[in-house]
Amino acid sequence: MPALRDIQDLFREGLLGEPSSALVDLVEGNGLDPQARLAVYRHHVFTTLTGSLESTFPVVCRLVDPRFFAYAADAFIRQHPPIGPCLDEYGSAFPEFLADFDACRPLPYLPDVARLEWAIHRACQAPVCEPLDPARLGSVAPSDIAQLRFLPRAGLVYVASPWPVDAIWRAHGDASQAMPDLGSGSVRLEISPSTEGVLIRSLDPGSYALRVALSRGKTLEEAVSTASALDLERAIRSFLDDRIFSHFTITTAEGA
Amino acid sequence: MDGPACATLEAVRRDYPVSLHGVGLSLGTAGPLDRRHLERLRQLADRIEPCLVSEHLSWSTVGGAYLNHLLPLPYTAETLGVVAEHVEEVQEALGRRVLIENPSSYLRFRHSSIGEPQFLAELARRTGCGLVCDVNNIYVSAWNVGLDAEAYLDALPAGAVGEIHLAGHAVNDADGRTILIDDHGSRVTSPVWALYRKALERFGAVPTLIEWDADIPELEVLLGEARTADDFLAWATRRDEHARAA
Repeated sequence: MPALRDIQDLFREGLLGEPSSALVDLVEGNGLDPQARLAVYRHHVFTTLTGSLESTFPVVCRLVDPRFFAYAADAFIRQHPPIGPCLDEYGSAFPEFLADFDACRPLPYLPDVARLEWAIHRACQAPVCEPLDPARLGSVAPSDIAQLRFLPRAGLVYVASPWPVDAIWRAHGDASQAMPDLGSGSVRLEISPSTEGVLIRSLDPGSYALRVALSRGKTLEEAVSTASALDLERAIRSFLDDRIFSHFTITTAEGA
Repeated sequence: MDGPACATLEAVRRDYPVSLHGVGLSLGTAGPLDRRHLERLRQLADRIEPCLVSEHLSWSTVGGAYLNHLLPLPYTAETLGVVAEHVEEVQEALGRRVLIENPSSYLRFRHSSIGEPQFLAELARRTGCGLVCDVNNIYVSAWNVGLDAEAYLDALPAGAVGEIHLAGHAVNDADGRTILIDDHGSRVTSPVWALYRKALERFGAVPTLIEWDADIPELEVLLGEARTADDFLAWATRRDEHARAA
């Protein structure tokens, strides 16, 4: 009698690829080809995962047409089946997959649109936590300011692209907006959850570099060194006003 | 756990009792349970304080891949040991009894040596778990793999059934043969209502859920389905009271 684990391995291979004769032989026909019975399960797995990807990447789906999207999703699911039980967490590898998917080469901006959609999706799921009150920084000694580190609020993501992906995203999410000029230049975007929905901010290169470095745990001094041509005082005031961080610590003294 | 979905659930919980119905624990996987997922479920249950917690007699994960479906199990002594151990682990982690639901089946394994309702009965006896009786699943499975739906109801331990599920199903063609798909996308069919009545005769007026999560219709249609179930439940309650009085 086959062991349960062996059956489950055969089933996985049969769902993501073609069912082996060893698997087919385990299934009662009872008036129907065992392969047709196995196909019911495969169909459900692929249609629900494709539907999940469509709802996470609706603009990518519109840009390529739903039939092509289903074709790409089919290949993605076989290569990257979910690794956790929560469907909301499925699809993080889809932008990179599209970047390597030959059939998508005529649309070079597509992976970056997918990155933006994944960031929006994660921001939608994230809790809207209390932002850092800038007044709390008043207690920091001037000598410690360079060593400040900031903890980003949940769901904060940065996306940079040589394509105007925010305008592409808006144009395909709202029929009243025209498709942007693809040559209109690069964008640096900050995506964050808020009580009014997901915010997408377009940042100048200096502010983008500063905020990315801070969100990755660099000290203020280290982050400033990555951001050239920056009005520092204005940039710091701006990220505090935008309330993108929830806490701060100081590396050389006690944390706050 | 702190996202908007959980906040919505908490808002619902303030006004209604909630039954948590899981699809991701993969109780039938030959291997350890996903402890991270179980811990998330425990935290959710602590927060929501549900009236009931249930899962399925199925599996979905092997070798690190989650195949998001309630996949079929061979009903053998080995499988019974695996599922019973996992149900006990879940009950211990949550500090409560859970209910296990019969799946909808599209195939049966040749080497299954135990009938599905007998398997569920033995699982309930070994672990003390309760059962969700999904009447539509029984109907769908009976058609697809050749079971006697009424004999299935008779073989379930009446005292263990703590919740009943109802749903619509799709009628599909597979190689020229009709196969029923449990798609939760339409009204409960007449034969399923008839089987529901028999389930109430056997299990009493058990809390009943209409599952409709695909092609969701106008609210009035859903409320109509719920009212029909309520009418059956009212009948079953009167029947139970008469039986007690007699």
